[in-house]
Formats: sequence, C-alpha cells, structure tokens
Amino acid sequence: MAEATARPQLKSVWTAAEPLLDVRDLKVWFPIRAGLAQRTVAHVRAVDGVSLQVGQGETVGLVGESGCGKSTLGRAVLKLVEPTAGEVLYKGTSLHSRGGGAMRGLRREIAMIFQDPYASLDPRQTVGEIISEPLDIHHLYEGRTARRDRLAELLDLVGLNPRMAQRYPHEFSGGQRQRVGIARALAGEPSFIVCDEPVSALDVSIQAQIINLLEKLQQRLNLTYLFIAHDLSVVKHISNRIAVMYLGRIVEIAGSNELHRRPKHPYTASLLSAIPIPDPKIERHRQRIILTGDVPSPVNPPSGCRFRTRCFNAQDKCAQEDPPLDTVQLGDHQAACFFPVE
Amino acid sequence: MLDPTAGAIEAPVAQSIGRAGRRARGYWAESWERLYSDRIGFACGLLILLFGVLALAAPLLSAVVTHHDPVRQNLANTFALPGQFTFPLGSDELGRDTLTRLIYGARVSLLVAYLTVILALIIGGSVGMLAGYFGGWLDTVLMRVVDMVLSIPSIYLLILLTALAPRIGPVSLNPGNPYSLAVIIALVSWGSLARLVRADVLSVKERDFMLATRSLGASNWRLMSRHLLPNVLAVMVVAASLQVGAIIVTEAALDFIGLGITPPTASWGNMLSNSQVYFYHSLWLVILPGLAIFVTVLAMNVFGNTVRDAFDPRLREMR
Repeated sequence: MAEATARPQLKSVWTAAEPLLDVRDLKVWFPIRAGLAQRTVAHVRAVDGVSLQVGQGETVGLVGESGCGKSTLGRAVLKLVEPTAGEVLYKGTSLHSRGGGAMRGLRREIAMIFQDPYASLDPRQTVGEIISEPLDIHHLYEGRTARRDRLAELLDLVGLNPRMAQRYPHEFSGGQRQRVGIARALAGEPSFIVCDEPVSALDVSIQAQIINLLEKLQQRLNLTYLFIAHDLSVVKHISNRIAVMYLGRIVEIAGSNELHRRPKHPYTASLLSAIPIPDPKIERHRQRIILTGDVPSPVNPPSGCRFRTRCFNAQDKCAQEDPPLDTVQLGDHQAACFFPVE
Repeated sequence: MLDPTAGAIEAPVAQSIGRAGRRARGYWAESWERLYSDRIGFACGLLILLFGVLALAAPLLSAVVTHHDPVRQNLANTFALPGQFTFPLGSDELGRDTLTRLIYGARVSLLVAYLTVILALIIGGSVGMLAGYFGGWLDTVLMRVVDMVLSIPSIYLLILLTALAPRIGPVSLNPGNPYSLAVIIALVSWGSLARLVRADVLSVKERDFMLATRSLGASNWRLMSRHLLPNVLAVMVVAASLQVGAIIVTEAALDFIGLGITPPTASWGNMLSNSQVYFYHSLWLVILPGLAIFVTVLAMNVFGNTVRDAFDPRLREMR
C-alpha cells in the first residue's frame, strides 16, 4: 500500500529552474477518411507546430477562437490525443516514451479541468463518488474513514459543503459543478493543471468566483496552470504570460501586461480591440479592428502566414513566407509577423 | 468584468444550501417515481407481477386451490365445460384441468421469456459495449456478425436450431426443456439489443466525463463498468422490457409448431396447438390459452412503453 501511495519517480535531473512543461514543435493532425476503404484523404491540422514552455508555479494563458487548436493542445499535454509529430516533456521526460505504469503515475501529476461543467460529470454518480474517483484509481487512502476525510477536505477546499457529497450533479448550479470538477482535479494532488476554458460556460458573476478560487488554490497548493480560454479579459487577470493561437499555431506570446499594452501581431491587436471598456465615455470612442472573413479551414491553411487572408497589414511577402514566432523578439515577447503593429 | 478585489466569495455559496445532507434522489429513484405515476402502465406491471407470483406458486395452487395435477389424466371427465366447481375453466380431451395447466403454462412461458431476455441482454449488451467502446476492427467484426444474425429470418433460424438441437460442449440444447429453449431463443434475438447498446455507447463515450475520467488514469475496465454501463443501462432496461412480450409470442409459436416444450408439460403454446383440433367442438380450450398469451403480451408491451417513458432521457430534459 505504501508503495502505491508513493509519488511516481520522475527523472531526477529535472530542476525547478527548467520549464515544468516543455512542448516541442507539437503537431496533432486528425485524418479525414472517406470512401469504402476509409482511405485518408486529408488532415485537419488542429495543432501544427507549437512550442511552448511553462515554468513551475507559472500560469500561461492560451487564447484563440473556436477551432484554433487550443483545446487539442491541452489534451495532447495529458496524452488524451496522440501527437502526429513533436513531443511533450514534463519535468524533462517525454510523455511519449512512457509506458502504461509511468503514464498512470503521470495522470496524478497532471490534471485537467473541463469547460462544460454539465457534460464533464457522470450523471449517474454522486458528487462524492466523482471526486473520490482519483483516490480509488491511485489507491490514495487506507480505510473508509481516510477516504471520507479526504473527500470532505477536497469539498471544503473548493468551497462546497462536505455534506453535499451524497448529491447528484444535476442538483447543482453550473458554478458549483465546476467546483466539483476542480475538486476532482485536485484529488490526485497534481502539480500541473490544464484548465480547458473552465469559466466559458458560466455566468460572468460566477466566472470571477471560479477564477479567484483557482488563484487561491494555486497559491495554497503551488500549482502550475495552462489556462485555455477564448476570452482575453478572462486570461489577463490570472496569467503571467499569454500565448495567442491562430489556426494551429502560436502567433504571439508575451507577459500578460506587455501583451495587453503593446500587442505586436495584428490578430492580437484585433482581439484586444474587441474587449469592451466598462466606461461609457471611453467605450463610445473605442476604436475597433473588425476582421473580415472567416477563419480558413485547418484542412487547407493559407500559404505563408496563416493570418494573411484576414490581416489588415498583409503584403506580398506574407503569402510567400511563413513567419517564425521569433520574427518579432523583444525580451520574452515574441510574435510571428513580418509587419507588426506599432 | 472580472473583479479581482472580490475576495471571500466562497462562503455564501457553501452556506446558502439548506438541507445539504439529505439523501439525494438519483436517476433511478426519479425514474421509479415517473413509472409509479403512470396508472395504467403501473397496473400492467402489477398484473405481470401477479402472473409471476401465480406461476411461482403453481405447485401450491394445484394442491390447495384447484386440487388437480397438471398432467394426470382423468378420462371420466373429458371436455368438462368451464364454470363447474371441480373444473373452473373446464378440462381438455384427456380430462386435465385447464386452470391448473394454464398456471403451470405460465411458469414455462414466463421462465423462458425472462431467461431469454437476461441471456440476450448479456450477449447483446457485451457485444454492443465492446464494439461501441473499442471501435476499429473489433467493431467491424462484431457488427458484421450482428448483421448476419439479423439478416436471417429469426423463425427460420429458430426452427433450424430447435430441429438440430445442437450441443454446446457437454450441454445438449434440447428445446423440450425451458432452459435450453431460452438459450436457443436468446441466441437468435440478441442482435437488435447489441445494435441499440452500441449506438448508445457511441454517444456516451464521446461525452466529456468519459474523457475526464480517462484523464485521471482510469483503466478501460473501470471506464466501461463504472461509467459506460450505468449510462447505457436505461436503454438496456427499456429494450428488454419491450422484448419480453415478443419472446412470449415466439416461444408460444415454437410450441405451437411442435418444436418447443414437449407435451405433456403444459405451456401456453402447446396447449393452443393441442386444442386446435377441437376448435369447433370446445372453443374455450383454444380461447383460454390464447387469452393468457394475449393479456400477458399486451400487459408487457404497455408496461414496456411505460418503462421507456419513465427512463427516456429526452423526456427528462423537457421537465
């Protein structure tokens, strides 16, 4: 029992100075099959060459529109989808070199909070059963009392009454359910949590509660977050750094304040201009950058820069060459653009 | 829009819940409540239960109430008319009491029906879950087998199986006894259940909670037994309750054509088959077992519909 409870042995050469999570040129392509023989006719390039580092204790925000591959990236970090190319290193060890046993240990280290608090909880289980599932899977307790105490502790940690453990998810509000999802993610004592749009499905007033809860938990439990959202204003508050994704690529990455103050990529600039300002006088004179057209298909992305079809700064060079992320490099502010916004 | 100064916001949420510790009413409790509130359907359920109890108590009833043995002949009292004290529902050409034989027949019919459904659920449920959950070549192979089972007219397959009485290992499937007959009918009727379960598994396995549980490190076995099965169980219960009626008819049909339960053991099917000769002479001998089948199957179907309404998830959403 003691052996099972022990933390999985991770590669010892890793030090806290190195990134906790290191995503290297990750590609996740989903095949499109057609015809009787189900031949692969094309690929959806959900994630198409992403590199990203997340340091211990840091929160990295990941923003982008629907379908830009941000959720797929989050899932690849948990090995819920298999990468087509590239690798994900956690504490210096590749996820993909891990066998079944080591991977199970890793499932405790990395947890995930899901977007939809209705769909992500099994409707046939009580909240107590849902939250203690990681405890059962990884044998994290000895005896019924220890299990019950741990469950009460987890519920308390996320601001739920421990007496609610007997209830079913449908008896809870969206915010409460999301707390249940957070408690489940915390049960295995993870050090890294992928938050996949944890507040997008909630009312604005509840969003603030959940974000504050996540921040409080981060300080208390020394957590590292990869925080996925489609709303820059949500991410700004909680993130140390923000990465902006467009069509399977990171187009700009910078410190949270830096990105908001000096966006370099036209796409980031247009996203920022869409945030309403809570002051009617300023709001009236707010300059908006309205993008034209739709996001191109990730099956067949545009040549050169992927954003050029909707970009207000696009020139001939953009169609011919693919700008790497370090085209603009100002300290740790990077943007993949030949003609950045000033 | 997000106010970082809003500090202690957890407290009101946690405290505002009154009666937090009460035992929750789960999905099954709610379904039961809906089942209970449908008067006609629930009455049909009770009727089926009553038939079940009568069938179980058959030896007791024959000894205490009817004072007849189901197979002992009484050639002095053949073709007794219904309504007499000694033969409440009359007697047949060999002087056997019709009421006693009907009660014993219920034993056979209901035993075969329930056993068949349970076996079909086990076979069809497993095949459907495996095919739907794992997908790929396993899905293809299993579903082609299902297609094959479903593409052969079931009555033909049944006749073939009962006529050949195949051996499975040391067990010979002699259709003359109800257990073998149940196995044979189950072997023919699990296909549609497998399809239903597979379809439901396909939709359930894509839901976020399955992914969430996998991300916690749950094994396939855990995912299937703890999460998939409870979520497809409703479909299985509904399909099974609707199938019971059809199986009673199938069993009666096999008895009728002489391939099922062998006389003198009474079953509703062979009572019908036996009495067809006396159609013009003693109509009640035909009507009574026919009526027994009719009432049971009707009650089963109405009850099955009620069960479906009570468990249907779409109805749940609308409330």
